[in-house]
Amino acid sequence: MAAYVLRRVLWGIVLLALVSLLTFVIFYVLPSADPAQLRAGRDASPATLHEIRVSLGLDRPLPAQYWTYVTHLVFHADLGYSYFSGASVGSLLIDRLPATISLTLGAVVVWLLVAVPLGVISAVRRGTWVDKLTTGGALLGVSAPVYWLGLVALYLFADDIGKWPLLPGAGSYVPFTNNPGKWFASLILPWFVLASTFAAVYARLLRGNMIEVLSEDYVRTARAKGLSERRVVWRHGLRAAVTPLVTLAGLDIGLLLGGAVLTETVFDIPGIGRLNYDAIIHADYNVIQGTVLLAACFVIVANIVVDVGYAYLDPRVREA
Amino acid sequence: MPRPVKRALPLALLCTAVAIALGACGSSGGNSGTGATADNGAGGHRGGTLTILTSQDVSSLDPGSAYASLDLNVLAATQRTLYTYKPTDPTNIAPDLAAGPPQISPDGKTLTVKIRSGVRFGPPVNREVTSRDVAYAIERGFNPHVANPYASTYYGDVVGADRATGGPIAGIQTPDDHTIVFKLTRPTASLVAQATVLPLSAPVPPEYAKPLDAKAPSTYGNHVVATGPYMLTADRSGTVLGTGYVPGRSLSFVRNPNWSATSDDRPAYVDAVQVRIGGSPTVSGRQVLAGRGLVLADSPTPELVKQAYLHNRSQIFFSPGGGSNYAALNTAIPPFDNANLRKAVAAELDRQQMRTVRGGAVVGDIASHFLYPGVIGFEQAGGQQGTGADFLANPAGDRALAARYMKAAGYPSGRYTGGQTLQIVGLAGAPDSNDAQIFEQALQDLGFKTNLKLVDSSVLYARFCGLPKARVNACPNVGWIRDFADPQTVLDVAFNGNDISPENNPNWPQLKDAAIDNAMSRAELTVGTQERANAWGAIDRQITATAAAIPWLWDRQPNIFSADVRCVPELWNQGHCDFAYSSLK
Amino acid sequence: MSAADADGAVLRVEDLRVGFDTREGLVQAVDGVSFAVAPGRTLGIVGESGSGKTVAATTAMGLSRGPRVRVSGRVLLDGEDLLGAAPERLRALRGDAIAMVFQDPLSALHPLLRVGDQIGEAVRAHRAGVSRAAARARAVELLEWVAIPNAGQRVDAYPHELSGGMRQRAMIAMALANEPRVLIADEPTTALDVTVQAQILALLRRLRDELGMAMVLITHDLGVVAETADEVAVMYAGRIVEQAPVGELFAAPRHPYTWGLLRSMPRIDAPAGAALVPIPGRPPSLIHPPPGCRFHPRCPYVRERHRSVDPALESVPDAPGHRVACLLPEAERRVAWAQLAAGATPAQARAAIEPAEEAPA
Repeated sequence: MAAYVLRRVLWGIVLLALVSLLTFVIFYVLPSADPAQLRAGRDASPATLHEIRVSLGLDRPLPAQYWTYVTHLVFHADLGYSYFSGASVGSLLIDRLPATISLTLGAVVVWLLVAVPLGVISAVRRGTWVDKLTTGGALLGVSAPVYWLGLVALYLFADDIGKWPLLPGAGSYVPFTNNPGKWFASLILPWFVLASTFAAVYARLLRGNMIEVLSEDYVRTARAKGLSERRVVWRHGLRAAVTPLVTLAGLDIGLLLGGAVLTETVFDIPGIGRLNYDAIIHADYNVIQGTVLLAACFVIVANIVVDVGYAYLDPRVREA
Repeated sequence: MPRPVKRALPLALLCTAVAIALGACGSSGGNSGTGATADNGAGGHRGGTLTILTSQDVSSLDPGSAYASLDLNVLAATQRTLYTYKPTDPTNIAPDLAAGPPQISPDGKTLTVKIRSGVRFGPPVNREVTSRDVAYAIERGFNPHVANPYASTYYGDVVGADRATGGPIAGIQTPDDHTIVFKLTRPTASLVAQATVLPLSAPVPPEYAKPLDAKAPSTYGNHVVATGPYMLTADRSGTVLGTGYVPGRSLSFVRNPNWSATSDDRPAYVDAVQVRIGGSPTVSGRQVLAGRGLVLADSPTPELVKQAYLHNRSQIFFSPGGGSNYAALNTAIPPFDNANLRKAVAAELDRQQMRTVRGGAVVGDIASHFLYPGVIGFEQAGGQQGTGADFLANPAGDRALAARYMKAAGYPSGRYTGGQTLQIVGLAGAPDSNDAQIFEQALQDLGFKTNLKLVDSSVLYARFCGLPKARVNACPNVGWIRDFADPQTVLDVAFNGNDISPENNPNWPQLKDAAIDNAMSRAELTVGTQERANAWGAIDRQITATAAAIPWLWDRQPNIFSADVRCVPELWNQGHCDFAYSSLK
Repeated sequence: MSAADADGAVLRVEDLRVGFDTREGLVQAVDGVSFAVAPGRTLGIVGESGSGKTVAATTAMGLSRGPRVRVSGRVLLDGEDLLGAAPERLRALRGDAIAMVFQDPLSALHPLLRVGDQIGEAVRAHRAGVSRAAARARAVELLEWVAIPNAGQRVDAYPHELSGGMRQRAMIAMALANEPRVLIADEPTTALDVTVQAQILALLRRLRDELGMAMVLITHDLGVVAETADEVAVMYAGRIVEQAPVGELFAAPRHPYTWGLLRSMPRIDAPAGAALVPIPGRPPSLIHPPPGCRFHPRCPYVRERHRSVDPALESVPDAPGHRVACLLPEAERRVAWAQLAAGATPAQARAAIEPAEEAPA
């Protein structure tokens, strides 16, 4: 097991290197904004433009720039500085990460708490109104764009602009360490909005898995043993049906930790997603590279955790 | 130097929805009876905190490199330039750091400005401002680590500026602590005097800034020192980054303890200003309308404009002189090297419809030339009436006239019969894309085959319209915002044949008219406001007559704010509420 | 506590009918099946797939309930009708008084739970106040009882970690955890290889004797039945077509289907060189069964009358406990079987019993 994890980690590092190279290429080769030009303004003279390029280090040949970046990262843990604000990329990431983590983990809890019971119940009561309601709700959750859903949530429940002022509105996020109560309240709407699509997908997925599992032989055996229906469904049925969901959740967490830009924008939560978006607008290359690498890191780690975790969840896989 | 229009409304309002309510569907006259009015702020209440909501961060806090309209709004509260515009007068410069009007020598080559005494830097510098600080501020603009975008354009005529790299410039002299003299190689002192409204002339203490300017790029912006009534909160060493400025999150302003009201006309009512960065205008706009003490720095969405106009009229202000919009026709390559063809297109285009899809009469006036309201020379060029060019006489277009011009161009049927497919590049996203499509339709109605590409703003300029070798035939979504009121900033770079460059070209129609270029060379050197107004007004008429570009809108920028905010809009800067004049009711 | 009923049967099935409502129609999987088993005795139910044997068994356990299931008849466990019982009563009886062992232990055991936990929960579901530790200890005991070596370690194994034979033993242990009165084993050896089969069957016999329980052994394999059952019921198309004590069935079967089964399996007492003869055709549709005798489309000895008259299960004269549902006269049946047992083909056997005037055209 240790050897396996080590191999995966090494491979992960290779992947990160590839990701950083790809980001670099995309930024410079494909049509995009030029940070020097953005800084200079549209009508700066070529001389000024050149001066800005020099001061940002953009006049050097591309491979040299990339090499400098990589060596700084690897040997000094230095992700460079934002062209835009001059702040160090590392400090920006550290500053924004807690908000993204809060948003992600809370949303995960919400969507699992919603999806698991709904998925199980709609499988057990297949065809009844509960099932139909869940299906309809799932369709809505999947189709409704997160941004729109966020706006609707604010227009309904935000205490500053909502019809029924119940919960804090956009821009009310404070870090947990400042004020846990306010932190929690400000995240309730974002959690539900972000969780909506996932809850829908997971509920449907679980429903499908449960229907399959409940027709398996071992469920029949469980009933034949005289176990209560509740035990049959939750301990025997759910246990077998939930494994793919856990795997998926791990991957989704990895993805979301890279930032949920739409949710962060609507609710004005200072997370990694918004940082990345702003950096793209400003052609702030170092920040873009930093956020992309961070997101890639999370995805890679999530993949490793999920693979290791799968063996934990399904003992049949361990032999392989 | 002009900046292209950036604060366009993101979505379209339909004429039927809003403009009918305004009762101004289709009228081309300026509609000044809409919403809140311009205010000089007199009699406001002291105290309170003003909160600004913006989805975009400031581009720079360094007065030596700041250029965007939000940056100017923020710096107007913390930096004092030699001259400035009062909120209600965007045309005539008023002394700020200067003690009185600029003294220009008869030959126009020497500009002398006396500086007020008693103006002090904020902490941690604390001492009185001298002329040396202003000199350093301008000299550092030539430092590659600061790389000011307009220093060489407006201060390039200063003796020694052509060789300047951040060190002392011979032509900037400081005979005493309160006098600064600019020696110029050409008689452009009027222009230089007006150029000092831009932040570059805000004083910078050399002993404090030089070590920061030695870094590449300079980090002065993160340690900036204030001279205005407000300052960014900073730590003891003056570092703003992390306290007064959290990138992408917030800006925090408090009163500058070293600012004295007697040295400044600004009332500075509010005690503090918070700028919250992030979120989206859709939500922020609603929060502003429903909340207290809030101001929206972004362009409000059309729904919000409508809602504010209909239900919260005192909370919305339409700032005139927001900038111009025009369609540039590439005169360097066929078919638009033919002037009659250009005039046919101008006559065919329904500029009223172009405005309607942006929201109707509230969003601005139908443009008929390139100097717009608030810019010196606007009236001399024809004002709201226009220059008299027949192909722009009818805002809704004139089909018959277009047909006549087509015939004159060599297409007797009144429709284009050549084989060329026109490459048109416009801005993606409504309503700009709608305007591009209306323009394309006009061309198709004249028989042209067209290929319309819609792209993002930076790509539009960098890869298409600003790149002559891309051979784009027409760019319908270009335009300018002035740097200051002098007409040269609107017309020169945009239409001077000598400014055409192979990349980053600002003269999008690539107009190269010897008569106009000569007139511009002469007008550059004209001294005196009235004389400049006449000279540039005439040039505007000439440019309009070439039909190298078709002007279609003079923007009025909507701004919204909470009911308890008495917003004093900066007419010279898109109508942003000026922190130092606005108050809470 | 009620003893076996008047006839000594602990499980008595009376005229059980089970139908499933499907889009194509009503599938009558079990169409009037009756049997009884006494304590310590084994009833073997033999038939092809689709004969209804498994459905009969699962319905007896109350596992076939559902909105589309139509059940009638009676299933009496110690005189109590299971079909009419409340779901909670049924649940209490399942795994306690009546238990079932399934065909493929790899799919019938939960793959993600340890074997010991699965056995333990069978105990705890029916015995209040049993702690987890106690249940685990009981699981070890049970595993030892079914002769699984190293039971103390095996109790924590997952099903896939055990061999096929051990898995089946574990499942048997689980079924017998609460010492049921009736055990239904549905194809318990089908998924195992032959040597292991014998062991499992021996195990079942031993456990039956030790517990004194009634056992119903469902299989398609006559060899299994021969070894283990005391009495055999042959099912076809949802009905019992022949029922007899085991010795009698093998020595003197009366139903052409049974003949077919016997002639299609290798027998050590068959003449050398005798070919195996499979039964032609396929099992009939249970939605629209054939008219008359259900076996007639595949019967080599079919007569005109058989196509319209449905035989009832009747006792065979001179053979106590032997019943058959066939319209052929008894005498002819004896002749035909004698032929087949000597190695003749069904065609030859038929020829031997055809009356001259009914020779096929």
